[in-house]
Amino acid sequence: MKFRRKLLLVFALTVVVCVAAVAWISSALARGVFEKADEQRTAALVAQFRREFDRRGEEIARRVDAVAKSEAATRMALSLSPGPPDYAAYLNEAQTLAETWQLDFLEFVDGEGTILSSTPWPAKFGYKESFPVMAAPRDSFLKQEQRPDSMALALVVVRRIPAGDSPLYVMGGRKLDKDFLASLEPSAGMKAFFYQNLGPSFTPQFLITPTGVTQPWELLAPIVQQVQQRGKETTSLIHWSSDAADDEMIDAIPLAGADREVLGILLVATSRKAYVELEQQIRSAAVVSGAAGIVLAILLSGWIASRVTRPVEQLAHAAQEIAAGHWNSEVNITSHDELGDLAQSFNRMTRELRDQRERLVQAERVAAWRDLARRLAHELKNPLFPLQLTIENLLRARQGSREQFDEIFQEGSSTLLAEIANLKAVVSRFSEFSKMPQPRFQQVQLNELVHDGVRLFQSQLGAPGHPPIECRLEMDRGLEPLAADPELLHRALANLILNAIEAMPNGGTLTLRTHQKGDRFYVEVSDTGSGLQPEQRERLFTPYFTTKQHGTGLGLAILQSVVSDHGGRITVRSNAGEGTTFSIELPRNADKLQPAEAAHTTSGS
Amino acid sequence: MVKRVSMRFTGSRLIAISSLLIAAVAAAATRPRYGGTLHVQMAGTLDSMDPADGSQRGTLAARNLLDLIFDTLVALDDRGQPQPALAISWLAEAGNQRWQFVLRPGVTFSDGTPLTPEVVAGSLRRANPAWKVTARENAVIIQVDPASLDLPAELALPRNSIVTLEAGKVLGTGPFVVSQWDPGKKLAMAARNDYWGGRPFLDSVEIEMGKDTREQTIAYQLGQSQVIEIPAGQVGHANDPGPLRVSEPIELVALLFARDVQSPEETKQRQILALSIDRDLLNRVVLQGGGQPAGGLLPDWLSGYAFLFPVSADLTHAQQLRAEVPQAPLWSLGYDRSDPLERVLAERIVLNAGDAGLRLQLATTNTPDVRLVRVDLTSLDAQVALSELASSMGLPAPHFLGHSSDDLYHAENAMVQSERVLPLLHLRTAWAVSKTVRNWHDSRDGAWRLPNVWLAPGRP
Repeated sequence: MKFRRKLLLVFALTVVVCVAAVAWISSALARGVFEKADEQRTAALVAQFRREFDRRGEEIARRVDAVAKSEAATRMALSLSPGPPDYAAYLNEAQTLAETWQLDFLEFVDGEGTILSSTPWPAKFGYKESFPVMAAPRDSFLKQEQRPDSMALALVVVRRIPAGDSPLYVMGGRKLDKDFLASLEPSAGMKAFFYQNLGPSFTPQFLITPTGVTQPWELLAPIVQQVQQRGKETTSLIHWSSDAADDEMIDAIPLAGADREVLGILLVATSRKAYVELEQQIRSAAVVSGAAGIVLAILLSGWIASRVTRPVEQLAHAAQEIAAGHWNSEVNITSHDELGDLAQSFNRMTRELRDQRERLVQAERVAAWRDLARRLAHELKNPLFPLQLTIENLLRARQGSREQFDEIFQEGSSTLLAEIANLKAVVSRFSEFSKMPQPRFQQVQLNELVHDGVRLFQSQLGAPGHPPIECRLEMDRGLEPLAADPELLHRALANLILNAIEAMPNGGTLTLRTHQKGDRFYVEVSDTGSGLQPEQRERLFTPYFTTKQHGTGLGLAILQSVVSDHGGRITVRSNAGEGTTFSIELPRNADKLQPAEAAHTTSGS
Repeated sequence: MVKRVSMRFTGSRLIAISSLLIAAVAAAATRPRYGGTLHVQMAGTLDSMDPADGSQRGTLAARNLLDLIFDTLVALDDRGQPQPALAISWLAEAGNQRWQFVLRPGVTFSDGTPLTPEVVAGSLRRANPAWKVTARENAVIIQVDPASLDLPAELALPRNSIVTLEAGKVLGTGPFVVSQWDPGKKLAMAARNDYWGGRPFLDSVEIEMGKDTREQTIAYQLGQSQVIEIPAGQVGHANDPGPLRVSEPIELVALLFARDVQSPEETKQRQILALSIDRDLLNRVVLQGGGQPAGGLLPDWLSGYAFLFPVSADLTHAQQLRAEVPQAPLWSLGYDRSDPLERVLAERIVLNAGDAGLRLQLATTNTPDVRLVRVDLTSLDAQVALSELASSMGLPAPHFLGHSSDDLYHAENAMVQSERVLPLLHLRTAWAVSKTVRNWHDSRDGAWRLPNVWLAPGRP
């Protein structure tokens, strides 16, 4: 990863982490503040509910007291006798008095617990009241009121009418309904529901809700059941819809009746809309800040990176230039910091490298000249010595007889001519190396070139007095023609065959192979001679390097030059004692042919 | 002297004249007088002025109101005996299958058109498509199949009123003619001067319908209404608004099952329900003694044998029977929610049934298993009344073998034993009538006789 990207990543991560941390902390603080405020508001509403509850209880108590003191109730109490009550006389009394005193429930019960008159269930006369009115508390309390076709929860008060022989009890109350809820004044974002715990399971019909409020009330079932089971206050978050702004925190407060049984549950709902909106604002601000921070990080990191990496890139570019051989490349020094020092050091190093290279080239050139001089001296010295001996022999023979001189002159002139011929050959090879001819491409069959090469040395392979060398040909008969200079390739192959024969003074096996892989052609020449040392293998193609007593060291160099001019390459595989294999790889070179020949080559392939 | 004599003579004459004037005024206070408007308020309603409209067949309101506008060929007296009305005589032929009714001459409809046999035949055919009615000179011939001995009594039913249709209006030959008609709310009528039975004393009658008890009481006490209807549950109540005119028990309160008995267990369950309901307590407490416990469909004053049907509750027996029934289904009990009396009765029945171990609950649907019904008896003829009861409740028509009390009992007993209907109570109808309303006839069936009523002067 480039430095610029690393820098950008670090900057961006830093910004994102910081923004996220700030957003989380802000959100947590806001949540804490809202929860505390919600608790206070809920407590206030619950207190208001209890005050309203008590106020209503007192109001109902006043009304029931009035009923108990009414003439009708007194008459009823006085008329009670040991015999069966005259229910007909009381049938409508409860309803009439309830309407007068605006009570939803009113019952007159005698000392035996028998209902004398009841509303809204007048038909219940003569039946026993399930609630023990004799043991009822003085104050108002919650009570389940059975109706003919339903049940309701009511706030009731029981009074004893101390008239007549047998006591008469009057029990009156008002149901808890929407009016009761409407009397509460919850603050904004709060609602109060009242659940009448009239059955073992949650029933939405038992829920008293503010007018106009509709929700999927079934969602309240878990919290209501929790309160039903535990009898304790419970708080739960209700998700009314997929929109988090509709969420409400529900505080469920149980309300017990006279026997401490949970008869009602006050549900205070606190909207989380304000908190969710604030949280969304914090989140939005964090996102915007993060995005802005990332943009800033990109710009800042780009600016810093450009200041830091531009000199480094210049250094890298200069190093690449130098690696490519452009030794004059240098870096502009634009700063005086560490990078400036680095650039300065790089330039100094470059200059030193350039100087060392020049010195090295100079030294190599001198070494080459020395090597050439040594080679040349060596090559020239060999023919010169016979020349010197022949001439000295001729000079000595001149002092002898004429016949002897003629004979010696004859021999000596032959020797001189031969040695001069050698000198010419030496000079010719050096001249040839200095001006290698460019290959003239034409369509050739590689197998034929190999056969020609082998044929050239056929006499040497089976010469008497020479250890036998077996020649093995492993030709690929399906070899396609390729474009090459047949003369140059012939000479190259002849050179390799000759080297192989000379590498096997004690005989062996000469193997020649040809094969083709796609557009690449391969010729291998292997011997079973003594092989090459690793250092010999490395310098094998260096001009003037030879392992022979009388070699010029130019043969393989010329061969490599020929192969290279054909666009191919030559490699050698050899281990000491295991023989040597030279491998020439050549391309098809179809593009090097004249158009007519190229067409022939393509059709021939 | 002369002067003294003269003065004595004058004083005697003044005394005599004064005595005559006082006597004349006193006589005027008890002698019928024409004029005035009778204001009536009632809870019942009439939604159609067509007597043949089956939707309100058999209600007391329909009977009393339609009787003011329409006449029938035959009328029943208080003993249930047919009396001439638009028909002055009748004759049964061919084994009571063919009846001839001779029409009263000179009768006209309220628009002045004469009553003809053709109009009468058309009116009867319209109300009774199964009858074959033909007009003949001054009479109509009615052929019925099967034979009917009670055809005259049947012709006295309001639905067999003789009407003529004129421009979409239904006109009658009754003592009054409609002057204002607001269906279900108000009916105003004017007396007909050319009524064949003589002009009514009243000039007009204004009837306001659908009024609850409280409204009626207030109107009565303010003198805005001279006649109001007293609910059955308040008949005999100590706080009655005034003197009541109470009829014989003419309204049946019963439980009507939606279907026939399907199994012996269900028969037993219905018997348990019948045994569990304390009819006597219902009458004494809920009706304030204003009715009669009923074991049969017809009241005793009409049939004479109603005591043969048991009415006592027997909770012990009911619980024993309940023990024999492995499972009791949950029955829904329907009732008219606008009727406070039905509500109390229904609630009490639910409680009583629960005591016997039956599961009965007030219905919240329109198709309850059993329904509390109130059906008026629309005829003073027992057989016709029973047939009309069966028709009103959707029960099969009773089968009478003859016209004796035994035949009537067997027919009624068969209906009761079918367990489709469970009689509970017979209610009376009562009207609070102002003292200014004179000559109010206390009929046994609660029917009005307004043509003979007249209004005394002064504030009620």
